[in-house]
Amino acid sequence: MSLTSEEERVTEQPNAGSTPLVRAHGITKRFPGVVALDGVGIAIHAGTVHALTGENGSGKSTLANVIGGALQPDGGHLEVDGQRRTIATPAEALGLGIVTISQELTLAPTLSVAENVFLGRLPRRRGRIDWNELHERAREVLDGLGVHVDVRRRVGELSVELQQEVEIARAVSSQARLLILDEATSSLSEAATERLLAVVERERARGAAILMISHRMPELYAAASQATVLRDGRHVADVPLPDTAEPALVRLMVGRELGDYYRKRRVEPGETVLEVDGLTTPGGELRPTSLTVRRGEIVGVAGLVGSGKAEFGMALGGAIPSSGAVRVLGREVRLDGPRSALGGGIGFVPDDRKRAALLPTRSVAENFAVAWTDQLTRRGILDARGERKRVAEAIDRYGVVTASPQSRITTLSGGNQQKVVLGRVFARGLDVLVLSEPTRGVDVGAKSQIYQLMQDHAAEGAGIVIISSELPELLGIADRILVFFRGAIHGEFDAAGLEEEEVAHVAVSGTPRGAAA
Amino acid sequence: MTQNDPAPASPSETGAVRARSARDLLGRLSLGRYTGVLVALAVVCVYLSITQEVFLTWDNLMNIVKANTVIFVLAVGATFVIIAAGIDLSTASATAASAMILGLTLQAGWGIALVLIVTILFGVALGLLNGFMITKLKISFLVVTLGTLSIYQSFALVVNGGATISLFGKPGFGVIADFVNTKVGPFPLLLVFNVLLLLAAGGVLRYTGYGRALFAVGSNPEAARLNGINVGRVVLIAYTIAGLCAGIASIVQVGRLTGASAQSDPTLLLTVIAAVLIGGTAYTGGEGGVLGTVIGVIFLGVVQNGLTLSDVSAFWQGTVSGAILISAVGLGVLRERGGSLRLRRAARSPAAGPATAPGSTA
Repeated sequence: MSLTSEEERVTEQPNAGSTPLVRAHGITKRFPGVVALDGVGIAIHAGTVHALTGENGSGKSTLANVIGGALQPDGGHLEVDGQRRTIATPAEALGLGIVTISQELTLAPTLSVAENVFLGRLPRRRGRIDWNELHERAREVLDGLGVHVDVRRRVGELSVELQQEVEIARAVSSQARLLILDEATSSLSEAATERLLAVVERERARGAAILMISHRMPELYAAASQATVLRDGRHVADVPLPDTAEPALVRLMVGRELGDYYRKRRVEPGETVLEVDGLTTPGGELRPTSLTVRRGEIVGVAGLVGSGKAEFGMALGGAIPSSGAVRVLGREVRLDGPRSALGGGIGFVPDDRKRAALLPTRSVAENFAVAWTDQLTRRGILDARGERKRVAEAIDRYGVVTASPQSRITTLSGGNQQKVVLGRVFARGLDVLVLSEPTRGVDVGAKSQIYQLMQDHAAEGAGIVIISSELPELLGIADRILVFFRGAIHGEFDAAGLEEEEVAHVAVSGTPRGAAA
Repeated sequence: MTQNDPAPASPSETGAVRARSARDLLGRLSLGRYTGVLVALAVVCVYLSITQEVFLTWDNLMNIVKANTVIFVLAVGATFVIIAAGIDLSTASATAASAMILGLTLQAGWGIALVLIVTILFGVALGLLNGFMITKLKISFLVVTLGTLSIYQSFALVVNGGATISLFGKPGFGVIADFVNTKVGPFPLLLVFNVLLLLAAGGVLRYTGYGRALFAVGSNPEAARLNGINVGRVVLIAYTIAGLCAGIASIVQVGRLTGASAQSDPTLLLTVIAAVLIGGTAYTGGEGGVLGTVIGVIFLGVVQNGLTLSDVSAFWQGTVSGAILISAVGLGVLRERGGSLRLRRAARSPAAGPATAPGSTA
């Protein structure tokens, strides 16, 4: 099927004719000053995986919240099993079998894994909680998901990824009729994402409907049979998957061609800019690791969650204690904190924007300038004029869309927040940039801008290390790819002509494809 | 409801238009962070100036300033700590302890200059001790300052057996008495001092690297750390500033009481923190400033003055201050919620946002 017009709507559905499980009609939702949804419709059928996609701010989460009972529409109505009805609260949605998993975790950190999985419906016997039954059933659910974790552990002690899996386990164990996955994979590794996709397929086969909201094209293509595309709060198209080619889908989302997504431009690598010799963490998450990066080079770092790839980045940036030797342009960098790393010429952008990068209560300007405090102060006094100038230049260069430099950073979309977080480090003119998951939770438009910025800075002579859980991204942007497995580098590839499977094989098994196991 | 009504200027429409423009006006006004408190303050002032003829007299207004200087000085220190997402519960106790040091050293015949320096340094030391335990020993600020609230107060009682030290007529006390009583033209010297303190503290918060680092640490300590800020040092300095303010406040207090009281005013701590929060500094850290704190102090000071003038029992003052605190912070939270949601939506959808499409501008 080829698309002749953006507005073309594909009406044929796999289950056309049968009554959709949930149908939204002409949903309009206004927030003060903005129309978040403008007469949007969607029909979700039992036994299908339905993708809902669009850029940040296109209204996908708002629509999901309306269906999930978290928001009330200002216009239009919902139908469940062909019956018109309102869903006033999330609890009411749950009663109808509509379960939402969002990227925001809703776990109780001080309770155990098992208690979280069955929160609100703990098995009881004679009025008291049946702990044995609870633990057994929780273990069953988690085993079914392929997650191995002690169900008695407090959820707060688990990694973000495991917490997300607990969240998924809770949703799955509730036997939902409609499962809404709102960016649920954004903090999951490839392996965990695959496990989730397997669960999605199982739930679909059981007869549930799945509404999947994601930026990540590979998952959409792997799981969904159709996609509804939103842009600026309006319905743009319903298209079948995977029959619609990726560029066409992206064009529908952003309303323009992105051209070659990664726009790779080979830069002839220059002198060695970064030398790492036996870098290791005291806890052993990262075993002694060595590598060199040259000017103009973009080195990709792949690996599963827990492979040590994240710790490698944090150790380089001074974010966690480490030992070993790190040299920038031959000069030793002390490993005693972010300050020393920055002073030594290494800039680090952490993977968790909200937790470790944003100053949520401060302006766009201050979120830029926080990385430049030492450069903008003399004898402790701030150069306010210099700051205004640099901020204005940075907003311009990094393409940050904001009403004003004084706007709160949290009023920006995720992609624009990320451009600030990256830009403030880029703009220091450092020799080495270590970027952990630089495009996590960012829409396609911002993504391609971020790739372009990375390439520009490489061309200007920086050595870049990009740590990512998205293989297509690494293959697209990096010149060279290192694969971590159990705390050490187990494979190194030239990215030219490299296939994802080769990298994935090392990431999963620690050995190259084709090697005797 | 009549937005799409084509009939021009029907009565209901003009009503709706008027309502809308009133709402717009309110919306614009509430953009100023302090509008709510300022409007409330204006209402209280108008009411008092009508019902109490003494209220608007110069003497009464200057009395309010003098009576609230101790609170203001402490509130400036508390503003730094609260911006750093902490709280200093020991501030009133530290003031009492510093006052006793002042009283004892002056009584012992030390020179006034030395007495003042020792008093201020003592306050600084108490603040440093709080900061040291919080940043180096990593004990929660609530636990530390709750502990020192009790320890510093106890120290103030122990050093002189719980007795007040009267300093009236003691050599050197004249300097302190002058400080709290002298006038510069029509203005009390304390007012000039308060203005200078406000400018200094505001300047530090706005125009120094330390000020920026303080907001960053209060907003997100991990992000601050990763950007090369020494988080522990920033927090330590904040508590030290609070201690410095306690030292200075103790001098004012001794001057006004003409002696050093071993027992701190039980409402002082709560008034100080309430003033900071009413002034829009968030207890969650990372936002606020001393201008708001001034407004908070004036508001509470005026209300207290009004209650006194109106012969309302002092027992009621706690109820009134508490209610003001809860409504001021509560209204701030509500406005914040509405405002940030509106802004976020507007920013995410540039097409529907303000006409000045940013990003396209140079």
